[in-house]
Amino acid sequence: MQFRRRQVLGFTLAAPVALAFRPGFAAPRADVSREVLLTWHKLILELVRHTATYMPPVAARGFGYIGVTAHEALATGKPALRSLAGQLTDLTPLPARGEGEFDEPCVLHAALETAVKELFANTGPTGQRAMQKMSEMMGKTASKDIASDVVERSVAHGRAVAEHILAWARVDGGAVVENMGFPRDYTPGTRPQDWVPTSLVRMQQAPLLPDWGKNRPFVMPDTASLDAPPPPDYDEALDSAFYGFAKEVYDTGKSLTDEQKLIARFWSDDAMLTPTPAGHWISIVMQIADRDALPVEMISSTLAKLGCAQSDAFVSCWSTKFKYNLLRPVTYIKKHIDKAWEPLLITPPFPEYTSGHSCQSGAASTVLTSMFGEDFAFDDATHEDEGLPVRSFPSFTAAAEEAAMSRLYGGIHYRFGNEQGLTQGRAIGALAAQLRTEA
Amino acid sequence: MRALVFLALAAPACAEPTIPTFTDETASAGLSTVYEGEWEYMVGGGVATFDCSGDGLPEVFLSGGAAPSALYLNRSPVGGALAFEKTDAVTLDAVLGAYPLDIDSDGILDLVVLRLGENKLLRGLGQCRFEEANEAWGFDGGDAWSSAFAAIWEKGQTWPTLAIGNYIDRKEEAFPWGSCTDNWLHRPEGNKFGAPIPLTPSFCALSMLFTDWNRSGNPSLRVSNDREYYKAGQEQMWHLDPGAAPRLYTEKEDGWKRLRIWGMGIAAADVNLDGYPDYYLTSMADNKLQVLKDAASGKPDYADIAFKSGITAHKPYTGGDINPSTAWHPQFADVNNDGVLDLFVAKGNVAKMPDFAAQDPNNLMLGVGDGTFVEAGDRAGVASMRIARGAQVVDLNLDGLLDLVVVNRWTSAEVWRQTGEATGGWLQVRLAQPEANRDAIGAVIEIKRGVVVERHEIASGGGHVSGSVGWLHFGLGAATAAEMRVIWPGGAEGSWMTLPAGGFYILRPGQDAEAWTPG
Repeated sequence: MQFRRRQVLGFTLAAPVALAFRPGFAAPRADVSREVLLTWHKLILELVRHTATYMPPVAARGFGYIGVTAHEALATGKPALRSLAGQLTDLTPLPARGEGEFDEPCVLHAALETAVKELFANTGPTGQRAMQKMSEMMGKTASKDIASDVVERSVAHGRAVAEHILAWARVDGGAVVENMGFPRDYTPGTRPQDWVPTSLVRMQQAPLLPDWGKNRPFVMPDTASLDAPPPPDYDEALDSAFYGFAKEVYDTGKSLTDEQKLIARFWSDDAMLTPTPAGHWISIVMQIADRDALPVEMISSTLAKLGCAQSDAFVSCWSTKFKYNLLRPVTYIKKHIDKAWEPLLITPPFPEYTSGHSCQSGAASTVLTSMFGEDFAFDDATHEDEGLPVRSFPSFTAAAEEAAMSRLYGGIHYRFGNEQGLTQGRAIGALAAQLRTEA
Repeated sequence: MRALVFLALAAPACAEPTIPTFTDETASAGLSTVYEGEWEYMVGGGVATFDCSGDGLPEVFLSGGAAPSALYLNRSPVGGALAFEKTDAVTLDAVLGAYPLDIDSDGILDLVVLRLGENKLLRGLGQCRFEEANEAWGFDGGDAWSSAFAAIWEKGQTWPTLAIGNYIDRKEEAFPWGSCTDNWLHRPEGNKFGAPIPLTPSFCALSMLFTDWNRSGNPSLRVSNDREYYKAGQEQMWHLDPGAAPRLYTEKEDGWKRLRIWGMGIAAADVNLDGYPDYYLTSMADNKLQVLKDAASGKPDYADIAFKSGITAHKPYTGGDINPSTAWHPQFADVNNDGVLDLFVAKGNVAKMPDFAAQDPNNLMLGVGDGTFVEAGDRAGVASMRIARGAQVVDLNLDGLLDLVVVNRWTSAEVWRQTGEATGGWLQVRLAQPEANRDAIGAVIEIKRGVVVERHEIASGGGHVSGSVGWLHFGLGAATAAEMRVIWPGGAEGSWMTLPAGGFYILRPGQDAEAWTPG
């Protein structure tokens, strides 16, 4: 599949959406806020990659809370924005601003600094050093030429907003991740269709985060209502539907084109080597924000909705994964089709159904389509510094569909896992899209 | 074939291996150097062991990071308690590691010192005196964060080629990721070094090793890289054809397979006795043991058998810390003299990373003889919880039992003497060539193990910024003699020799072994 670059069309469509937000404070301060938001997120994408516990579901959760933090920090000072308190599960009203003048960049910087330092408290010495440097740099940028009493008041408020969000986050079930997310005790299933470890890595002999589906969601009323239907009946007969799905993975893997290999690697989004699938979509938003000079309120609103949708997508998907506990294609194929077969991508260490990347891409594309419209074209240079070329997409939907298909090319998912994952994610994305961020 | 080899060996050695006994002599031995420093010293912490006094006992050079390095003279009585005398011979700051090497082939070992800043070549003057030789030898020490080293004598050269691995651009503070600086290849031009050749792309190397992976007679350069900092990176291997520019092995042209780990150390040995070197790669959590899948294919395609072999060493095995491990210096050696290779791995948190073990004991994994290993670090007495980095497993008192020295971050280096009863035979050899490459770097020692031949590459490099030149130790088990020969650099095959157990021998090309007695 090859897409044409359609940047001009994308910009044309984006401009009216962006203008609708009408920033309420002077443009220079809005520009500073925007710089604060995007620069912190640039660091966050690196921290996700370089913090060992930030497996894809954990990363999505982090983006959710950071997105909400930024939006709420701005919303407390701008009547045109609407708080997500009361809309997100168990989020109570945020601290109100007191008397006196506040500076938006200082509020936003303090809120992000506080949230990032706690959410990435476990990162290594280089991440700690980078966070410290970022605090100094953005602190100076935000407070330049601002009266000290205003800075002090604004920083205190930003921290209060973040502390409120963090207190809410600490009790969602996902705050503590041990052993990089792999349980030390695990009893494997005994049915022939049950997932078995596929890795030679000793830690990965138990599946990643088996209880993640029990976490408190952001927007879903409950996890079960958005569950995917059961996968096709497991069967080892050559004429069975299940065998056919596995054979499709095998045949596809045997005849991959260079373009299909590129697609598989472009959306691979491996933990600890990339910002993960959720970070990939955050990166897309940052690129659009940069290209179209989106105002800070538009960016923060988008990041909040996107983060909530992606986090819930992983919660829902993980619930489904451990409900059905379906074996990966590599296991079935090696046992029933070709014992020497190897997939292009490294098979992730958890059950197959549904596809996590497909689910969260479905959620992300639905949110972004609601924000930017159908047929919103964009270029994606997320992995340019990893040596992968820029890819161009005619719409968020097309990008999500390619992401889902990439898992088949990579040999790590059956077609039905991708398709049901997309459907599952789109339903979650639709809930997030209904969040009201404007008054 | 591999399985058959292990079956052939299994009969005499498959029982629980003998647990060696080590005694911690840190307090009495006199090694007091601490590897100090903060972020710029989170990697490094090497040790070099070599004899510069001429008595056969290895001296110990310890890097100090932000604190001064130190050279310690070995005053240990043969077979007795370890004792070292601190000197001011090599007191340098910003030292990350060091490797001994007789660069000018004058029969006196020199020292390659890796630093934060300018690297130093120190010319040995005899009696453990050194002088800086960068200028005299045309060596550009650069200004980088140097964290890996390897050396080889390329065909036709009388001086070595030095490979130096470099780490992050230390000036990048907020976004250091993706800032890996170029590694360098210092090739000789006559009796000096030419300008360094950048090994681009470079991916934050923490270990390098010249190795003849396919027995072509022409070693390649393996580089283990820290994925924490590179972008578009992976483990690497370079072709190094004489007179030609270095060239990366690629997936398309060579069948090189992409592997991305927190590469921190390389140890090579013929673990599976197939005649080809296998590679243990240290990392965080799981470590790798790579064995060549199919030598006949000519492709560097490796299978990871660490899990099957029981040497993933992915988490602490004692002390109660449940978090994953952080592994640094690996080294194969036969510590219990049973004729089967064992593996030591130095462990320690990068700094204070809460997702990784704070109490992370060093590993001593004993080869069983059937291809598997059992952990014995705690039972052997070397399961230190200090934050280890570099190390050397070496016979410090020439009693035939291997001892251990480990550099630790923020606390003193530790040294253990092996003190248990000898349960197996051993011998130690030293290679000596006339003229260039006196210590025969790049040679292969072959020793018969029953029906198979175990091959040992003699290398300068690998590990974690730590190296040794000196006596090469071989455990013999119940054998009273070893059948051994040397394939000298350049390919000349020495004759098979029968060397009685319990002795030291100097091996020279075309000559009978010369017995040597310590003391």
